[in-house]
Amino acid sequence: MRNLLSALFTLLIFPGFGFLFVCALAFQWIDRKVAARLQGRIGPPWFQPLADFVKLMAKEDVLPTGAHEQACAVLPMMSLAAVLTTALVVPIGRHATSAFEGDLIVALFLLSLPALAYFLAGWLSVSVFSVVGGSRALLQYFAYEVPFLMALGGPAILCGSWSISRIAVHQSQTVWMMFVQPVGFLLAFVGLIGKLKRSPFDIPKAKSEIGAGPLTEFSGRKLALWHLSLDMKTVVGIFLLVNIFLGGSFTDLALPTALIFGVKALLILLAFSVAGVLYARLRIDQLASLGWRVLAPLALVQTLIVIWIGVR
Amino acid sequence: MTRVTIPIGPQHPALKEPLSFLLTVEGEQIMESALRIGYVHRGLERIFQNRSYLQNVHVVERICGICSHIHTTAYCQAVEALLGLEIPPRALYLRTLLCELERIHSHLLWLGVLAEHIGFTTIFMYAWRDREIVLDIMEELSGGRVAHAVNVIGGVRIDLDQEHVHSILQRLDELERQVETFLGVVQHERTLQARTRGVGHLSAEQVRRYCVVGPVARASGVDVDLRRDAPYAAYASLDFQVITAEEGDVWARTMVRALESIESLHICRQLLQQLPEGPLTVRASRRVPPGEVVSRCEAPRGELVYYIRSDGSDRPARVKVRTPTLTTLITLPDQLRGVNTADVPTVLSGVDLCIACADR
Amino acid sequence: MNIDLILHVLQDAFPAETLEPQAMPINETFVALPPASIYLAAQILVERFGLRHLSTITGQDTGSEIELLYHFWDGRGLTLRTSLPREEPHIATLVNLIPGAAFYEREVSEMLHVTFDGHPDPRTLLLPDDWDGGAPLINE
Repeated sequence: MRNLLSALFTLLIFPGFGFLFVCALAFQWIDRKVAARLQGRIGPPWFQPLADFVKLMAKEDVLPTGAHEQACAVLPMMSLAAVLTTALVVPIGRHATSAFEGDLIVALFLLSLPALAYFLAGWLSVSVFSVVGGSRALLQYFAYEVPFLMALGGPAILCGSWSISRIAVHQSQTVWMMFVQPVGFLLAFVGLIGKLKRSPFDIPKAKSEIGAGPLTEFSGRKLALWHLSLDMKTVVGIFLLVNIFLGGSFTDLALPTALIFGVKALLILLAFSVAGVLYARLRIDQLASLGWRVLAPLALVQTLIVIWIGVR
Repeated sequence: MTRVTIPIGPQHPALKEPLSFLLTVEGEQIMESALRIGYVHRGLERIFQNRSYLQNVHVVERICGICSHIHTTAYCQAVEALLGLEIPPRALYLRTLLCELERIHSHLLWLGVLAEHIGFTTIFMYAWRDREIVLDIMEELSGGRVAHAVNVIGGVRIDLDQEHVHSILQRLDELERQVETFLGVVQHERTLQARTRGVGHLSAEQVRRYCVVGPVARASGVDVDLRRDAPYAAYASLDFQVITAEEGDVWARTMVRALESIESLHICRQLLQQLPEGPLTVRASRRVPPGEVVSRCEAPRGELVYYIRSDGSDRPARVKVRTPTLTTLITLPDQLRGVNTADVPTVLSGVDLCIACADR
Repeated sequence: MNIDLILHVLQDAFPAETLEPQAMPINETFVALPPASIYLAAQILVERFGLRHLSTITGQDTGSEIELLYHFWDGRGLTLRTSLPREEPHIATLVNLIPGAAFYEREVSEMLHVTFDGHPDPRTLLLPDDWDGGAPLINE
């Protein structure tokens, strides 16, 4: 009984759904506030993300004729479920809810499901803007995913384990992977920008060109869940980077784990916000070109260096 | 690959005003486009015939929101020519001051819109923030941020004292620093260049064939500017440069407009520092003797033409307005052919459309 | 623009007409020609003098006839004036010579019901496709 209650607590409250929900909204607010200040604006009040979510949940849900009703209802939930499951294997604080050898691979696989759901959402909701957005999302996926995966594989090879928890612990004994593999860190950072469809890689939802891309026809509860899954993906993605490259919350300093973990996560979030306001949005062909001509070769070089060091 | 028809407009996030495009797209490339305007046609040329010359000053001002002053300038200039009036120098200088302030305002607004369309929200926010400096100056001078109602037939109705002149000059200095920053961004920032270079190209020959005017023409190397070639208002006594570029793409147009804004700031300084003393208006009779006039001005978007025929009464027999946006609209199908769909908002922004002007 | 030379050449091209150029504000010259001569005159301006900038085409109902004004500009203005009869007014299009005339002719066409023979795209420009309210600028 106690195990059941404890499991429910972990899944629903901390570090499960409840905690991630609060983090997702908090991260969204910080991101919007920082971007606003950098642009000379004031930015939204702290409860804005929550208000947006509640408002969307209360709105009417319509889809165009010809759209696949059931699939469109399932896709946002599929995206959300994938992200929440990934959170189970990412150490938040000192422990991951479920850690095992190879959980990094599982995490990466799960994190790529939302992209597939996103593309399908565009394809199945039939309108011109959605379909074009969906195909762009898929093109973008191919541009960043390969460098991202290779960049995350580097620390795994160096730390001798494919479990995120072990990689994080290993860094507390040696040195942060960010310093050993700066190129890898940069690639993972840029790749995550693409994965989260943040500016300057927010091509699938380029407002001025194709409405809202794949999600143009979504509204109400479905849209609320899409946004939530994207925000949670931001949180989980940042936590993943903190563990793989910044040593997680493992350190010799006598500080509370929450503080260390929180500070590192916020630093990465800040870097995302700043990167988001500095550039114009690239075109999809320019991003694909960047991905294959710059990012992938760099990732390849980084991986070769890592293997060479590892073999020595 | 199958051809898809994508509608842009009449309502679309990329458009400030209603305009309809039907783009025939294959993959990500535009094959053909069909243009439809007239969604804000208000029949103003007919309305002009039913109002007196005096009432028409107010109607003319409302043809467009961003270039309202140049419309009244061209109109009042035309009627004043029919009346044979000689406008006092102080009035001409103040009229020109508003013209140039409006040009700066229009270009800054446009820069923000272009930046927003290429996803560079930061520049959009900065440009519109600095636009407030110009809007504040115009509001202090005239009482209105956009519809200034500065021109009357016979002169202007606003005035300013030395203290006000100093205050404006200070703010113009501040604005110049900001515009120089934007110029730096346009010249050097790589993502902006990646999105605007080579996009929406028009050759000088195409410009001449379509009788294109304004910054779009100048960005393709066609050196035409009514302020220098056929000076009106106070331009004959001012010293300024006409900015041209050779590349003929959206980036060239951005450079031209940014540099033009700086030139306009220089012109504003000259106007304020050399402001002559004297009256602000001359008396104008309500009835205009029979005659015809063609009046041309350089609006922020190019050559603005007014033709007025008067039959001796206090109402015009005919007022014809040709706005510069019409000349750039006709080039859009050519510009869009072969362009990537992602570049459509960039191309549309590059020509700085003012549909209210085009539709009247 | 060498206005005197242009007027001289135009007079030579149309010996049957006595061109009476009128000076108009602001820095304009108006020249009247019959409708059938407009295309040739425009051709002379474009090909002989490189005068390619057509500012606009004004159409107006003067009461007795439909008058068209072709406003050219090159440093100063030159306007060609022509009169069309009120019943079935038509004139040759200038689009082959000056592609930029397309929109101006469409507007005159829909506002005054003037037909521009040979225009490649005679749709309405500003009025709705299904407009049946007559010609807006015709004075009944």
